[in-house]
Amino acid sequence: MPIRLLSLPSKDLQYAINSMDLGDVIALSLCSNRTKNLVKDSKRRIEPIHAEVYGNRIRFNISDFQELQNDWDQDDLDLGDGVDNEFISLDLFDSLINIHRANEIEVWRRPEFAQCDWIVHLLSIFNESMIPRLRISDSCPIEYMNTIKQIIPKCNSLEIIRPCSNDVARKAFLKLAPIAEEVNFEINIFDNDNDISKFLTLNLNSVNFIDFESPFKLELSDLLVSNIDHLSIRIVNITDKELNRFAKLWMKGSHKFYRPKLITLVLKREMDINKEEVLKGIQYEFVEESTHQYRIRRGDGKELSIRIFAYIVDFEFE
Amino acid sequence: MSSTEQGTSSAAPAEPTTAPESAAAPEVPESFYYVHGKDKVVHKVSAGALQHSALIHGMISNLGYTEEQAKANPFPFENIDGDILQMVVDWCNQHKGKPTPPEDTNLPKQKEKLFDLVLAVNYLEIKELLTYCCKQVAMMVKGKSPEEIREIWMIPTDAEDEAAEKEAKKRAGKEAAGETAAAAGDAK
Repeated sequence: MPIRLLSLPSKDLQYAINSMDLGDVIALSLCSNRTKNLVKDSKRRIEPIHAEVYGNRIRFNISDFQELQNDWDQDDLDLGDGVDNEFISLDLFDSLINIHRANEIEVWRRPEFAQCDWIVHLLSIFNESMIPRLRISDSCPIEYMNTIKQIIPKCNSLEIIRPCSNDVARKAFLKLAPIAEEVNFEINIFDNDNDISKFLTLNLNSVNFIDFESPFKLELSDLLVSNIDHLSIRIVNITDKELNRFAKLWMKGSHKFYRPKLITLVLKREMDINKEEVLKGIQYEFVEESTHQYRIRRGDGKELSIRIFAYIVDFEFE
Repeated sequence: MSSTEQGTSSAAPAEPTTAPESAAAPEVPESFYYVHGKDKVVHKVSAGALQHSALIHGMISNLGYTEEQAKANPFPFENIDGDILQMVVDWCNQHKGKPTPPEDTNLPKQKEKLFDLVLAVNYLEIKELLTYCCKQVAMMVKGKSPEEIREIWMIPTDAEDEAAEKEAKKRAGKEAAGETAAAAGDAK
């Protein structure tokens, strides 16, 4: 026999909603505007939503928030075992979604919903203002990039990962990086015909180029044209001499409106940075000798902190 | 008025006795109170069992009734069906003086009564039982689709909600107009 759920006292109603499984909560939110608001008010805690693009559908991976007891739990989570965490996937299409839960796939329909409406609905019920993680790989067709940009106005982190063709990776970066607070570009697609400087000139907040299999080749000119606030490249091929020239050019003050705030370069492990070579001919002062941090100052008063430790160098512009 | 004797077993008092000397101490006789629901059937319940209900506990804590006075003045809960009150009393007796387990297998299984039970338990402020009931409510829709949930929980559609809201506004308007007319009539 049915019961009149919405007639329950609000506190009990919220408690009942808090006791529900994640998939059931999403189903409840789709019953009506009232139930949507009830779910929203329950402030359900989830792990950051992880969105992936497969063909013409967007998959949302959602799991319950996992309370970590200690550092060992974090290790378990990373390894993906020993953690009992409800996890569901939703494939978003126009007018319907496929929900994967408990080893079954169900289809839920809302004829009036387009893909963007599903996204707005799901973000809204979990009180998220944007998609926390958007992942692009070879499963995303190039011709679908424009649609993604239209239906996903903003995301916290854009991840471009293997397997991914050079064309998809390039297009994804140039099209979608501006909608992301942070970009993780986890594939080295650059060569003589396709150099990294085009990517570095974009006006972006934070970009991490990461490829441990194929080091990025970086030249002094690449660093000088960078327009990215927080840039990190690992791992990278660049000589100590070029790092020294970069610091000297900065000293000359020819880049008055240099935008970057922090550049972190991680060099190949066997190639430790020679700090004498990097700071050769430059007047510097120790910030903290134990942290291998040095400060250089130029005529207009601007400062640059250089931290050199083994195979990592940070340039922090103040 | 008919009467049932609930919770009359000579169970130990709610307070566990751990120290050896307390065993030798004279036993304090357990006090009993009486409650009845809409059906007027009176249930005799020990003070220990009633401690689960914050509402009743608050009511009796300063009464100092004798057995006769308690019998003569059962607490009336006219808003609770007799069978629901029976369920609540049974649960309180079963869990008298015991820590409540994380999962309660003794919870009534009748889904049709669950809604009334939640309301009663909420009114009587029995926190642990309310927790179990709400979990039971949540379990009713485990693995269900939005359409199935709407049916099980009788959730109105947006159109029905809008129609109900319009109706409520219309009614409120009419009532306000009626009151104004009545006030004008009184003034004359």
